[in-house]
Amino acid sequence: MGCPIDTTLTIVLYDLIRRGMMDTFLLSLTVLLAGGLFALLTCKLFSLMKAGYITITAVGCMIGLYAIIGPLQGTEVTTYSISWLQIFTLSFSIDPLSAFFLIPIFAICPLAVLYSFHYMDKAEQRLRIGVNFFFLTFLIIGMALVATADNIISFALVWEIMSLSSFLLVIYDYHEKETRKADYIYFIFAQAGAMFIFASIALAYSYTGSYSFSTFAVIPANIKVIVFFLALVGFGSKAGMFPLQMWLPHAHPAAPSNISAMMSGVMIKMGIYGIIRFYAILNATELVFGEMVLTFGMVSGILGVVYALGKNDLKKLLAYSSVENIGIILIGAGIGMIGLSSGNMAMASFGFAGSLLHVLNHSIFKSLLFLGAGIVLKKTGVRQIDQLGGILKRMPKTGSAFLTGSISISGLPPFNGFVSEFLIYYGAFQGLLLDGSPFIFTMLAILSLSIIGGLAATCFTKVVGIVFLGEPRTAKAADAQEAGITITIPMTIMAVSCLVIGIFPTPFVQTAFMALKSIKPLVPVGSEEVAVLTGNLAIAARIFLAVFLFSMLLRKVLYLRKEITHNPTWGCGFTQGTTRIQYTGTSYAMSVVDFFRPFVRVKTRYSGIKRIFPRQTTYNTSVEDISEIALVDHLAIPFLYFMRKLRWIQHGHIQLYIGYIIVAIVALLLFV
Amino acid sequence: METYISFALAVLAAPLFPGIILKVKAFFAGKNGPPLLIKYYTLIKLLRKGSVYSTSTTFVFKLGPIVSFAAALTVLLFFPFAGQAPLLSFHGDVIVLFYIMGIGRFFTVIAALDTASPFEGMGAAREVFFSTLAEVTIFTVLILFYRMSGSLSLATYFTGENPITLMGQSGALILLVIIAMFMVLLAENSRVPVDDPATHLELTMIHEVMILDHSGPDLALIEIGAFLKLIFYAAFITQLIFPFDVLNGITRGLIFLGILSLIYVFIGITESIMARFRMDLVPKFILTSFALVFFAAILTMGVFQ
Amino acid sequence: MINITELILVVTLLSVLLSLGSTRLMVLVRIMALQGVMVSLTPLFLKSHASLDSGAIIFFQIMTLIKGLLIPGLLYMAVKRVKIQREIEPFIGYHASILSGLVIIIISVFITNNLRLSLPEGHSMVLITAITTMASGFFLMMARTKAITQVIGYLMLENGIYLIGTALTDHRHTIYVVEFGVLLDLLVGVMVMGIILHNINSAFSDVDTTLLGRLKD
Repeated sequence: MGCPIDTTLTIVLYDLIRRGMMDTFLLSLTVLLAGGLFALLTCKLFSLMKAGYITITAVGCMIGLYAIIGPLQGTEVTTYSISWLQIFTLSFSIDPLSAFFLIPIFAICPLAVLYSFHYMDKAEQRLRIGVNFFFLTFLIIGMALVATADNIISFALVWEIMSLSSFLLVIYDYHEKETRKADYIYFIFAQAGAMFIFASIALAYSYTGSYSFSTFAVIPANIKVIVFFLALVGFGSKAGMFPLQMWLPHAHPAAPSNISAMMSGVMIKMGIYGIIRFYAILNATELVFGEMVLTFGMVSGILGVVYALGKNDLKKLLAYSSVENIGIILIGAGIGMIGLSSGNMAMASFGFAGSLLHVLNHSIFKSLLFLGAGIVLKKTGVRQIDQLGGILKRMPKTGSAFLTGSISISGLPPFNGFVSEFLIYYGAFQGLLLDGSPFIFTMLAILSLSIIGGLAATCFTKVVGIVFLGEPRTAKAADAQEAGITITIPMTIMAVSCLVIGIFPTPFVQTAFMALKSIKPLVPVGSEEVAVLTGNLAIAARIFLAVFLFSMLLRKVLYLRKEITHNPTWGCGFTQGTTRIQYTGTSYAMSVVDFFRPFVRVKTRYSGIKRIFPRQTTYNTSVEDISEIALVDHLAIPFLYFMRKLRWIQHGHIQLYIGYIIVAIVALLLFV
Repeated sequence: METYISFALAVLAAPLFPGIILKVKAFFAGKNGPPLLIKYYTLIKLLRKGSVYSTSTTFVFKLGPIVSFAAALTVLLFFPFAGQAPLLSFHGDVIVLFYIMGIGRFFTVIAALDTASPFEGMGAAREVFFSTLAEVTIFTVLILFYRMSGSLSLATYFTGENPITLMGQSGALILLVIIAMFMVLLAENSRVPVDDPATHLELTMIHEVMILDHSGPDLALIEIGAFLKLIFYAAFITQLIFPFDVLNGITRGLIFLGILSLIYVFIGITESIMARFRMDLVPKFILTSFALVFFAAILTMGVFQ
Repeated sequence: MINITELILVVTLLSVLLSLGSTRLMVLVRIMALQGVMVSLTPLFLKSHASLDSGAIIFFQIMTLIKGLLIPGLLYMAVKRVKIQREIEPFIGYHASILSGLVIIIISVFITNNLRLSLPEGHSMVLITAITTMASGFFLMMARTKAITQVIGYLMLENGIYLIGTALTDHRHTIYVVEFGVLLDLLVGVMVMGIILHNINSAFSDVDTTLLGRLKD
């Protein structure tokens, strides 16, 4: 007799927990919103505003993290819906995939916000900072809602909230022309991307007749390809997928660094979320999806890192490095999709899991790097890598954190970047036993990953070596000083978590595997296999660490009672060395960039040496992005030319404008 | 027990083999050459000395030798010498290994950049470029091996049911792999024709120029790391040539040592009869090694089964 | 054990890749000699060609001689006599050429699989090699400036055609009579080329085809 009552009780309790979860999530959003309003209201009291805003945001994000513990452990999906404008229903739900993407949002954002306490320290700009915080809140809420939106209408709505709030955040330095231009480019890309997404959704709606995502699966197979491709273009432009990445290297340098950290670390991942979510709801298993995503991934990955190598502006370099990492994530997703199509579940699971874990990892180390770059920029006022140098001595904490981030982003063990790349490799290798085109694709994926890995290491040895090591190349770089505590703490936390994920990968990999439950056709491999693999990975990382500590000890022993002297670097007999003769970032990268010549345009300006007593000579190279060149030459300029031909329509006679309106209305009435 | 012995032997004997290379080169030059144990003497000399540190450097400079040594040592833990089961092994370890080598390189490079010397920067730039290309070859080899054996671990490549050797099935492909891996060995361990360890001009060096400012025990650690790396690649090729399941115990070990020494002799011969490449031909050299293996991998598509 | 046919074909393919990557003319000529020998030996080791009579043996010997010795020898002399610069001047760089070679191989594999010919066992590999050799011959003619490299490209094309003949037939050597005729043509071609090159060389100072292009009007 006890059984039914127990069951009912369990159901009731369970229901309570479920509803509680969604309520907690909404509570966290409310708290966040309150924080934004608080910042707006108290912006006269500068320090109080910042401290209060940071505290409230941190609390809100903590509540949010607490809310997603349940979904991450695989409890049932909960939905919350309200009706809007009588005809629409806004519906949100948290399933494991959403919850996984909520982790970076709720974990990285408070750190980036904490960073802004010392970063945004100009009291005379307090109103602007208050407004900035207000939109920041909207960005966080927007992203959280994008990850949970459950039908077409709510998705479109919150996607726009996210895009617009980030647009308003980038334009913080609105009095500078460069910033306005950059933000304008971002706006065009965001809106054009959104148009593609809406087109995709609209096409799907015309076949399903329902707002719900769950009906997407019934679309005919050939239409699915179009829907997915449109969505891929739209989400890809948000994520920074090549050739739609152009806004990243403009918007990131223009935005304040805490904003770039959030945009590059968290917001562009929403594009990835969109791609994976659409793939999941379309329930598509044709090979072409995977091959499409994989190809975009490989191209973005390789070209992203090559451009990153060529760039001389620190934040532009990091922006291109984001393109590269998006490439890695897409390669993982592509491997997963190909695995799913060919029924190879091990390949599918490890590919998707690696991809998801890389989303988390990248959000940590890329935010760390942007925060580090931002503070170097603030303390020295120099953007160009070739004018920096020797920062590590002057800013030891920042420098060490940045070094950690650089190793992680190069995908080297025992740090976190390696774990996710390893999973993708592992998945790809499973696919090598296929035949025909899947084999070629997986083989190319592995090769691209190895090229990307090598080039990323090249790129970040360049950054660390030229910016943080050596001697300062300019007086500005020599004057750098260590940043305040609220700047070093978030960076240290991120650096430590890079190492922690690298050494204790198991729970994180398992979380990523939990998120795979939302991709319906996928049957993840058994948790034992995963546990064994991650266990081994952890052992390898720890053994390397142990050998490293042993070597350190060995060195200590070898140096007991040894004479140690300090002298300037050996100049190979050259006695008149200045710091200017150090190898520069440009020369460091040039041979690699040259190797990829057809895909990279290198512009060189050299004044030449003309007389017997030459005057000052200049040598200048810049590396240009072929997609940008192609867009300008083949799209923007012809389009502008065409538009100029239509200028006569706009002539300034208001009477004729009214005439246009009447014609338009009549035409509409006739045809609709 | 044998596992530990073979590992210890490999580590201890690693400085011996470069002596063979020097002997062979001396033979070709018609000289007597340094004693076979020259590298041990050098190491002892270095370990007795103190160090000079550049005033430009930071802690990164001191980490460089440690990490590169630790990486080389860790990699050897996974290697099945003479078909003995290695100390550690799991499915997927090869990927980890080559990435661990990557972190060793990362630190060597940033330690070089830490000295603020233009020459060391130049060497670092070359090192990262060439090793990136070499890494591609290595991963193609892994792809090919996975096609052949369905495994991702050094131990199963060489000691499993169906070891990958020249004598096994599709040996023609292994021949390509051996040639390509030998080219990678030359490139990764800075031997002629890619780099000349005996050159005098800093401008033409790759690896040697990066460690100009290291001295004393730090330099000794770097040198040992380099010897370990060389023995890893040489042993890798040896395993590919090595005929298996023929003999057991001591004889097998001796044959292994014999082939291993032969490879070093071969390196010596290559260094004696070849000139160094112009720097811009090095990428082509490494790309050729990639082409060989990639080509072998394509041939596994339904042709060689 | 190692399958000899496979070994020969692998060496042939390798010679194709190496010829795309070689920077010196002499090296290229040597590679062509190796390729010629390998190609003419291929039919001997194919299973379906197992029964050989004395006529066939003589035929293959002559074939090997011409392809492996005579033509490369003539080319060698041409290079020596005309004093062409030793470097090959590419339109398409060496890196790109090697990668193109790999792409050509992949495509040949796909073409062979798509043709779905009912080939005797072991012949599909011959067909892959044949298509690759032919395409790379074309590629070499297209991507290099010197007249002599174009002849070498043509030679490679001929090798490919010969292999296709080998792959598609399982008859005895009678089929090769046609092949033999082509080969003789080629031989004459190489000789003529040698003479012409020599004359051009005495009339003009260079034998670069980009310069020959200027003769068009």
